[in-house]
Amino acid sequence: MPVNSPFNTASPQAAEIASLYWFVLGICIFLLVVVVGSLTFILIRYRGSRGHEASKRQENVLLEVAWTAIPLLMVGAIFGYTLHTMHLVYPPAGNRAPDIRIVAHQWFWEVHYPQLDVSTANEIHVPVGQDLLFMLNSADVIHDFWVPRLDRKIDVTPAYPVHLWMHVTKPGVYLGTCAEYCGAGHAYMRIRVVAQAPDEFAAWAAEQAKPHATPTTQDAIDGEKIFTSRTCANCHAVKGTSADGDVGPDLTHLGSRSTIASGAADNTPEKLSQWLKKPDSIKPGSHMPNLQLSDAEVRKLVAYLEG
Amino acid sequence: MATIPSATEGPVTDRSAAPPQGLFSWVSSTDHKKIAIMYFVAGFAFFLLGGLEALVMRTQLARPNEHLLTPEAYNQLFTMHGTTMIFLVLVPVLIGFSTYFAPLMIGAKDMIFPRLNAFSFWAFLFGGLLLYFSFLAGGGPDAGWFSYAPLSEKPYSFTRGLDYWALGLLTIGVGTVSAGINLIVTIFNLRVEGMTIRRLPLFVWMVLVNSFVIVLALPALNAALVMLLLDRLLQASFFTPATGGTPILWEHTFWIFGHPEVYIMILPAFGIISEVVPVFSRKPIFGYGFLAASTVAIGFLSFSVWVHHMFAVGLGFPVYYAFAAGSMLIAVPTGVKIFNWIATMWGGTIIFSTAMLFAVGFIVEFTMGGLSGIIFAAVPLDWQMTDSYFVVAHFHYVLFGGTALALFSGAYYWFPKITGRLLDERLGKWHFWLTIIGFNLTFFVQHFAGMAGMARRVYTYPALPWLPTLNMLSTIGSYIIGISVLLFIWNVFRTLRRGEPAGDNPWDGWSLEWATSSPPAEHNFERVPPVRGRRPLYDLAHPEAVAAGEEG
Amino acid sequence: MATERHRLAVDMFVLGESVFFAILIMAYVLYHQQTAEHSGTLLDVGRTGVFSAFLFGSSATMWRVEANARRGRHRRMLLWLGVTILFGATFLGGQGWEYYGLIQQNVTIRHSLFGTTFFTLTGFHGAHVAIGLLILGIMAALGLGSSREVVRTKGIPAAAVYWHFVDAVWVFIFSIVYLWGALA
Repeated sequence: MPVNSPFNTASPQAAEIASLYWFVLGICIFLLVVVVGSLTFILIRYRGSRGHEASKRQENVLLEVAWTAIPLLMVGAIFGYTLHTMHLVYPPAGNRAPDIRIVAHQWFWEVHYPQLDVSTANEIHVPVGQDLLFMLNSADVIHDFWVPRLDRKIDVTPAYPVHLWMHVTKPGVYLGTCAEYCGAGHAYMRIRVVAQAPDEFAAWAAEQAKPHATPTTQDAIDGEKIFTSRTCANCHAVKGTSADGDVGPDLTHLGSRSTIASGAADNTPEKLSQWLKKPDSIKPGSHMPNLQLSDAEVRKLVAYLEG
Repeated sequence: MATIPSATEGPVTDRSAAPPQGLFSWVSSTDHKKIAIMYFVAGFAFFLLGGLEALVMRTQLARPNEHLLTPEAYNQLFTMHGTTMIFLVLVPVLIGFSTYFAPLMIGAKDMIFPRLNAFSFWAFLFGGLLLYFSFLAGGGPDAGWFSYAPLSEKPYSFTRGLDYWALGLLTIGVGTVSAGINLIVTIFNLRVEGMTIRRLPLFVWMVLVNSFVIVLALPALNAALVMLLLDRLLQASFFTPATGGTPILWEHTFWIFGHPEVYIMILPAFGIISEVVPVFSRKPIFGYGFLAASTVAIGFLSFSVWVHHMFAVGLGFPVYYAFAAGSMLIAVPTGVKIFNWIATMWGGTIIFSTAMLFAVGFIVEFTMGGLSGIIFAAVPLDWQMTDSYFVVAHFHYVLFGGTALALFSGAYYWFPKITGRLLDERLGKWHFWLTIIGFNLTFFVQHFAGMAGMARRVYTYPALPWLPTLNMLSTIGSYIIGISVLLFIWNVFRTLRRGEPAGDNPWDGWSLEWATSSPPAEHNFERVPPVRGRRPLYDLAHPEAVAAGEEG
Repeated sequence: MATERHRLAVDMFVLGESVFFAILIMAYVLYHQQTAEHSGTLLDVGRTGVFSAFLFGSSATMWRVEANARRGRHRRMLLWLGVTILFGATFLGGQGWEYYGLIQQNVTIRHSLFGTTFFTLTGFHGAHVAIGLLILGIMAALGLGSSREVVRTKGIPAAAVYWHFVDAVWVFIFSIVYLWGALA
């Protein structure tokens, strides 16, 4: 598994930031070597009784001006490079319609593709090789959208929508997380970006745009009944049914996702069953209530949701 | 152990055999020395609490997907750990050193407002107790030490913890501001004849500048806390988007205080280093003028960088240009100090006392922390590394590797003056090395955890590459720090019981605190030596140098 | 020659409180767009202007207090101190009248952003005035007693700085909340 690092880049944005980092790090290491090197020399050369007790006032204005001016020039260079990188990584959104609209909630990511009529949650598929514009807003507290290998992070503040430009160069799965402490579920508010070749992405989007699979097995049919008649529909939406709650994540085509509970567990029938039976055992503090479902009800719901 | 003979005339007075004082005399005392000792004791007690909180968190984080703690418990722990270390440990202990030594170093017999001084301490203590009382009243605060809205507002935070947090900090803040005012007026008005501003010991100079920063920064926190309490208790709308407010106002208001606050925690530490390094290099400080001027520059600039805590908010480039420039600029006067301290040591005679070891440790660790700070000043790098373990590493390097090491340096340096006994140097060296090993093991690896994509303030994390190993190493390091602290406590207790008598001036220092007994008499000086330069005791011992016009 | 210690201490305190009010004013200015409509209809600029005149006047009378204190004219100092306290109390009475009217209309801190910012800003100012009146009252009481010298040389110079400060803050608040907010 590749290390999930801003320096293991898979986008031009991340690559630009990484370049700036090596430049600044180089300067920092140089300065650290100067400090540690001179201290090491001093501690060896002047230890004990080797020196003498000086009496005169100690100063050398020229030297002090030098070690004021040289660092000033260094930070000046860093400042210039900083401005350059800022523009490359984060140009304004302009008038372009967003490709992906995200609403951050405690503790999941609501994801819409306005132009493709797709709504999902937590797992964000994108086509590689294209400039994508995200718009992000929060439904409750301040969150932060961070996928290190792909992009800068951006705070998602309620009543303060922001944008993000993303361009993924290689297909793959890129993991991210909420990076602004947002309460009990913060540690499990994870992001999964799946970058695909354009035709695979188009196929995914087409499938996602369809309504949730019509249940065929008895369990799934019962599951749909339970879902739409019980409180599930108050919080969750499933396309093609009467369920259109937006308090919790959209569950349309849940079966197509790799994880559940925004990355807290793998998407398997066992884990989904465990989640429905006792949400706190997978994501402590989650707003998903324990509905005291029977094992049979759980089995049926799983059959329905996994499609 | 230093074997330099005392430079003062007259017999060495051993006060360590004085009869113990009753508890009531401490509670009612307005003597700056007693008040300072109470700051040290209370501050250290809170340090142990905050450290315990850290150890519990690190235990939870040792392995991925661990569930020793619930997220609710963890979130209270990290909130209280940060709040405790900043408001109840670092600032009070620094004020303790300022309160003890500023009057002595200027030749005064106490602070100018002794009763206000006592009030400042008790306000801090009661504020701290109020803060911790929250655990007994439904749960501690759990929105982080900077409590971003709306998470800190109802309905997202419904226990009383945050009300106690706000009220506790308001109380502590009142104490801190009154201490700052007291120090300013004391330093301006009570200097002994001959002690001009330009002859002030650098510790006193930095305490003076710092006190202005305190007076200007804490009221911003008071305003922020007041607005938060009004929102929470009277349904005001300052920070609640639903009713027209904005959380961004909280961020600005808090960080207008919060950034200067970190300079409040470092300036007196710089002062301690500026005292310790010359004495144990047997040389006057190099570049007094630049050191003093750079302090003033830092004081001013500290108010011009706060938005760098908000670089990831999306506020717009013009604002970010200005604050990136300020944040990079402030590195320059800070660097000047580092170079001047090194230049002080150059050509000197280095004495490896424990105080000096901690001072040298400070220079290295603080430089590392300062350099990672420059990384954050470069806005796009902040865009990746803020809110990750990289920033956790950064601020622990400047606050622990910086301030805490300076406080230990000051402790070993001034303990003999305060108690009349010398801390054991052998135990001290063990303490030092364990601290360095433990500290670097705990926090250096956290840079890499951040670089491996680990966000901060998470009670658990997935088993992604590097994270399990880095976190385990960090936890081991934290336990080593714990052991090092136990060593220090042992050293203190042992010394208080049967430590070696120190005499008036065990280190052959040159500032006025060494011209009196250890510990000083209640009125500090029998007679203040004449002050004709920056090193009064040096001048006293070397009249020929003074006659030749060479100021010490 | 060092500034007298109590005066210097109050100078520093005023420095800090200036920052406190600056932040509250900053919040008010930030929310001005959303509150302007309310301040136009709910605030009586003329009436508050009259009461403000009393507060500003009290700074002038305070200046007389200081002058007489310096010259050792104790009785005159106390007289002007009394007038100052009267004027300050009148201002507070006007504030109370204004608050009463607003609360009658259900305009409170929770009513709106206007209620939030208006009451917070003017409320903290009013609290500072009230504390100032307390301090001046203590000065008067001590001045009538046996601490005349201390009151003239230490108490009055220090208290005067605080009183002028409280006045100066009102210049800002009145301008921003009433003149700009209600008239613009």
